[in-house]
Amino acid sequence: MIFVLFGVSAIVFYLARGFPSAFAPWSQYITFRMTPAQIQTIIHAHGFDQPLYIQYWYWLVDVFHGDWGYSNWANGLPTFEVFASRFPFTVELTIAAVIFTVVIGIPLGILSALKNNTAADHASRIIALTGYSTPSYWFAYILQLVFFYYFYTWGLPNLPSSGAISQALEGTVPTVTGMPILDGILSGNWAYTFDAFVHVILPAFNLAFISLGYLARIVRASMLEVLRQDYMIMARSKGLPERVVIYRHALRNALIPAMTLTGLFFAGLLGGAIITETVFTWPGVGYVSLRAVFQGDSNFLLLYSLVTAVIIVFSNLIVDVMYVFLDPRIKY
Amino acid sequence: MAQQEETIVRESETKAKVAELKYSLYLMRQNPLVLSGLILVIFFLALALTANLIVNPAAASSFDFTQSYCWSSSFFSWTTLEATCPAGSGHLIGTDGFGRDLLSMIILAIPVDVSIALVIVAISAAFGIILGSVAGWVGGKFDELILRITDIFFAFPGLVLALVFAALFGRTILTLTFAVLLVWWPVYVRLSRGQVLAEKGKTYVEALKNLGVGSGRIVAFHIIPNTIYPTIVQMSLDVGGVILTFSALMFLGFSPTPALPELGNLASDGIGHVFTAPWLIVMPGLTILVIALAFNFVGDGLRDILDPRLRR
Repeated sequence: MIFVLFGVSAIVFYLARGFPSAFAPWSQYITFRMTPAQIQTIIHAHGFDQPLYIQYWYWLVDVFHGDWGYSNWANGLPTFEVFASRFPFTVELTIAAVIFTVVIGIPLGILSALKNNTAADHASRIIALTGYSTPSYWFAYILQLVFFYYFYTWGLPNLPSSGAISQALEGTVPTVTGMPILDGILSGNWAYTFDAFVHVILPAFNLAFISLGYLARIVRASMLEVLRQDYMIMARSKGLPERVVIYRHALRNALIPAMTLTGLFFAGLLGGAIITETVFTWPGVGYVSLRAVFQGDSNFLLLYSLVTAVIIVFSNLIVDVMYVFLDPRIKY
Repeated sequence: MAQQEETIVRESETKAKVAELKYSLYLMRQNPLVLSGLILVIFFLALALTANLIVNPAAASSFDFTQSYCWSSSFFSWTTLEATCPAGSGHLIGTDGFGRDLLSMIILAIPVDVSIALVIVAISAAFGIILGSVAGWVGGKFDELILRITDIFFAFPGLVLALVFAALFGRTILTLTFAVLLVWWPVYVRLSRGQVLAEKGKTYVEALKNLGVGSGRIVAFHIIPNTIYPTIVQMSLDVGGVILTFSALMFLGFSPTPALPELGNLASDGIGHVFTAPWLIVMPGLTILVIALAFNFVGDGLRDILDPRLRR
């Protein structure tokens, strides 16, 4: 765990700070008005003239003091503040996407398993495979084209194609959690809540479409596995109705791997969906991290990749622990 | 003596494998999705090999801004959008951002994408098999170290690592390939390691060891051939994924030159014009989708066929 975090930070540090030919790491600290001598002073003061491993040490010390540096391109705000203000948007999008994934993916998988090797099974398999063969940027634009532009030209109610909230409504409710939908609910402003909700649909569906295929396939596979077990024959021979057999006895056990996968999706998406967020100009961390890459903001990239790594490592841990609770056969 | 006995072990392995293969081929014929995927894969590979014969690259890539264009305006004739024509204007699916025939450009782009994807998958699989099986066989400290290193790469947001790498080392096809490679290899290490660990305790490995067959020989000529199927399935599934990732990098603006015929790069011409010239994104994206789908059909079908638990 600690090793992983050190590894991640060291790799990003080496990549982002080690090659001054691409982006000067001290560019975060200088302005146009500084003289070369002043710039040299700054470089020296921040230790940028030292070897990399000493710079890494400086950075670590700063981080343990809670100082993540500054992001010049984001109005010179502290990097941590930039991240913290964007992260709730990503959380909201992630929750919405996971809800879509589960609501569509699990029934699709169950259907596929119960109607094994029929037309319904093949159809759900094609949907699943199409999901993970789809370039997400392409699908994002298709969604925008159809649900925003074509619906608009046909005079139908259309979904917004960008942003997390309409510009007219921006800043009309106090920021409590940073998540537009939750803020709207908390302040009792239903127009705002509805607007925020409408904004999240397309990007969330775009993300869900990519991942629901995996979920459906896993549910199908584990469902087929469970249906073949002896206790299913037992349940049937007890004379239980088929509905109870499927939903009580089979589904509960079959959903354990699905829960794992959902947890991992959640963790993966919390790391920010760079492409989807960029295409929908969703103001989350994924969108900002792409800008940070182009601006050469090593401070932001370090914070971002560390937070993502922590989330992924912890979610793996939680999933392992959950397994023991959910499946009594597993013992460590 | 040992050599002969080893040959006997090998023969029994081969016999089992041939029977297995025959049965697998029979199952494959029964599965319409695998079959259609396979036909599409062969079609795209053939297209990739003959693209330069079908379309003359020099003629198709040349663009002349002095021509009059569909939406030409005397003020902005240099902008990319001005050169774009919709379908039907002598071009089957319209023209791209440079006024070149989009269909020709897509045909020229297919070999670029497919070959890069194949190279990335092949290198990461080869690297992963070697490193993973050595780690699995040797075990101990070395295994632990390799595991931790793959942990680091698994904890990364994959695209970010590739993005940072590409941003730093410049935008050439080679660096972009390496950027994707950097993200892709740990999967194969884990996979091969697991396979070797599972196989290590089996009786035939014991038998070979007792015959005095060297470790390297056991791993390279017995264990790896016996456990190659999951890796092959993973590879066929990954070709699609690699094409998606690589074209996404291109799409996000890491193309070496704007005019490069690469599917993601062709699609990126359409950013900002999606409502006025949708074919710019739709067509290259659709091509990527179909290619990835073809490889995924094959991979998904292979997984069902080669996994004895799923084949019943």
